[in-house]
Amino acid sequence: MAKTYDYLFKLLLIGDSGVGKTCILFRFSEDAFNSTFISTIGIDFKIRTIELDGKKIKLQIWDTAGQERFRTITTAYYRGAMGIMLVYDITNEKSFDNIKNWIRNIEENASADVEKMLLGNKCDFPEKRQVSKERGEQLAIEYGIKFMETSAKASINVDEAFFSLARDIKTKTEKKLEASNPPKGGHQLKSYEPSRKQTNWLSKCTIL
Amino acid sequence: MEHPKKSQSCELYPSKKEIHNYHGVVHSVISYGKEDDQQLNGTLSLIQESEKVVIEWRPNDVSIDTECQEDTEWALVNTNTRTRTSSGSVDGALSKLHVNIMLNDVKTIKVSNKKNKLTFTLKDNKQKVFFFHFGNVNQFFEELRTTVTLKRSHHDSNLYFVHDKNAIVQSFSDLTLVDRGGDTVWNLVGDLKRRPYETTLSTFSKLTELLLYRNPEARPEGAMVEILSSLSSTDGCPEVDDSYHFICPVLGPRKLEPRGIPLSQDHWETAKDTEGKIINPDHIKQIIFKGGITPSLRPELWKYLLCLYPWNSTKKEREDILNEKTEEYKRMRAQWSTMSADQESRFTFFRDKKSLVEKDVNRTDRTMPFYAGANNPNLELLSDILMTYIMYNFDLGYVQGMSDLLSPILAVLGNEVEAFWCFVGFMNIMYHNFDEDQSGMKKQLSQLHTLLTAVAPDLATYLDSHDSGSMCFCFRWLLVWFKREFPLEDVNVLWEVLWTGLPCTNFHLLICVAILEKEKNKLMSAGNGLSEVLKHVNDLSYNMDLNDILMRATGIYNQLDQSSNLTASTQRVLGLAHDLISVQQSQSEPEEIVGEEKIDVSMENGYEKSIEYNYF
Repeated sequence: MAKTYDYLFKLLLIGDSGVGKTCILFRFSEDAFNSTFISTIGIDFKIRTIELDGKKIKLQIWDTAGQERFRTITTAYYRGAMGIMLVYDITNEKSFDNIKNWIRNIEENASADVEKMLLGNKCDFPEKRQVSKERGEQLAIEYGIKFMETSAKASINVDEAFFSLARDIKTKTEKKLEASNPPKGGHQLKSYEPSRKQTNWLSKCTIL
Repeated sequence: MEHPKKSQSCELYPSKKEIHNYHGVVHSVISYGKEDDQQLNGTLSLIQESEKVVIEWRPNDVSIDTECQEDTEWALVNTNTRTRTSSGSVDGALSKLHVNIMLNDVKTIKVSNKKNKLTFTLKDNKQKVFFFHFGNVNQFFEELRTTVTLKRSHHDSNLYFVHDKNAIVQSFSDLTLVDRGGDTVWNLVGDLKRRPYETTLSTFSKLTELLLYRNPEARPEGAMVEILSSLSSTDGCPEVDDSYHFICPVLGPRKLEPRGIPLSQDHWETAKDTEGKIINPDHIKQIIFKGGITPSLRPELWKYLLCLYPWNSTKKEREDILNEKTEEYKRMRAQWSTMSADQESRFTFFRDKKSLVEKDVNRTDRTMPFYAGANNPNLELLSDILMTYIMYNFDLGYVQGMSDLLSPILAVLGNEVEAFWCFVGFMNIMYHNFDEDQSGMKKQLSQLHTLLTAVAPDLATYLDSHDSGSMCFCFRWLLVWFKREFPLEDVNVLWEVLWTGLPCTNFHLLICVAILEKEKNKLMSAGNGLSEVLKHVNDLSYNMDLNDILMRATGIYNQLDQSSNLTASTQRVLGLAHDLISVQQSQSEPEEIVGEEKIDVSMENGYEKSIEYNYF
């Protein structure tokens, strides 16, 4: 079966519980907002294929539970992610303070060259704002990553954020591929998948 | 200071070189197996004797100890040296207690950090056990590791096999894979080199047979693991040809019996005696297991199922219990509700939990009429009960998922105090799901894999070879007992069925197996890896027929119950083998047994490994 995309990028949404990760994802993948949302248990992903410079890019975006308790489960998914959205809630100071912990988590668990982006969500709620836009920008500068304020509810900057992250990954990917695989014409770029560890098929016998 | 001190080489024994001994083990205690429970303080040393490494334990010589030098730090080391140098004249009783273990004679080494215990199992199956009073068992073990090649057991992450170059040959002969003659063994090894996959698979079928059908004592675990670890390190293995299957126990035919009718008002009325005691609770539970409960009876029955009331309590006793529990609830509720904002400002733990509860209450079952709409007073009840539970179980506090467990209970009972105590009863079953290190969840995922292997080995094999053997895609099912998978009315039925505790332990895992087996063909579609499997499983939510699943799960239980060739681990997960459990418990160390089930450490490790490395 022919692939319907040129690239497959795996992205991850992380951030404190209740900052709106699932809503951002829902807005991006379904262009909708549901006010009777539920907390995320375990892990799930959604797909949206976008087009950048004539290339079809399939974004597989993983949504994780935000609570500390589930970190042993969720951090296992960091590995292999090519882009990570760090989300905080502009009406919740604590979620902003915790970004540094999430960054540490990334450093410990994700691959070193993963693209990151900082999102201050719920910017449609200025009367409850606790974190100024400048502080968000400042933090992003400190970490050398991009920053946007978003609103899943009002559909502000959600598409822009994902497009921006996807573009950065694409640029990086193409550079890498050019370096290791000089272009011979045509699209030879589909192989950007981290090499799988050989499935240890013998080990299944140990569980018999 | 627990820092290990490496002592100087022992100059009085030119052929002997003491590699290490530790201050920290001076007070080690040795136990001579289980028959002889002598415990003596002494010193454990690692000694190089020409080509060989010896582990030596010497009891402390009290008289020498007391006359040792002013420098206490070195006194103990010197004491040891002296003990050994004067070994000829040392009190005979003490010298008899010396233990020398040649590393060559050691089969396995087991490290138990919790108990600071090191167990050497020798090739003649004798055991030598050392307790490290100063807690530096790991340091000693690490030193030991530098002198000998160890391989970790697949079954027990604390167990290490001492590497033996001839292990493969020995292992094959130990396994009696061939009837006679070393040549045949060598042919086999030769075949392994030339045609590794075919040879391995045919060998494995024999291995599997051995593992499944021989009695556990005859299973040469050491040899197994040795072979597995040697073979599995082969790089560049191609994909397994799906036409090879491992031999698995064949289950008898499955009978699907229709579900029963829910426990009715009439039946319930006749179930009580004049004082209001339930005459035959087992019978009531059977009915509930088969058909659930008529909705109007739920508020009453759930209080029994969730242990607020004992089945044999009289009406009067139940009133007393409720009064008492109401007071207790009020007291705990006041503990948090009277907390001022000023107090809260210096109570981070409380503040954090409170904020989590608020967030989750606002997004729990808001489409359900009972919780729908802004400013619904039931949301406040939900929040109050969860906040009071924080006071009831401070160690656990609030963890996401708990609001899902409470919501149906509150909706059915409609009473704050009763809902709280029933929630406590439910949490007593579920709290391991919320373990800090998630060990309860990992254990269940591993047990689920064990059951799936027994029921649908082809699916289990498929998942293993497609990055999904960790079963992590069932996480949500298990964490909140399918709360997110079925509509509320179904959840009520499913939970009351599970609360009966029938027909076996971990029946909820058989529900998982029933669903997975039903979806087998779709799950095993070509090319499905973890993401496709996870997607399919997540998409089953609200698309399943509970009655059908319960019928299947019950049918599977009966098949397993009637099967005579289940693996010990399958039996353990379901609590089917009581004699087996008691035998194993008496043979194993108590710390390894959690409840009635031993944690399948190999799977736990596999879980992490699988999602870490094979996920994307």
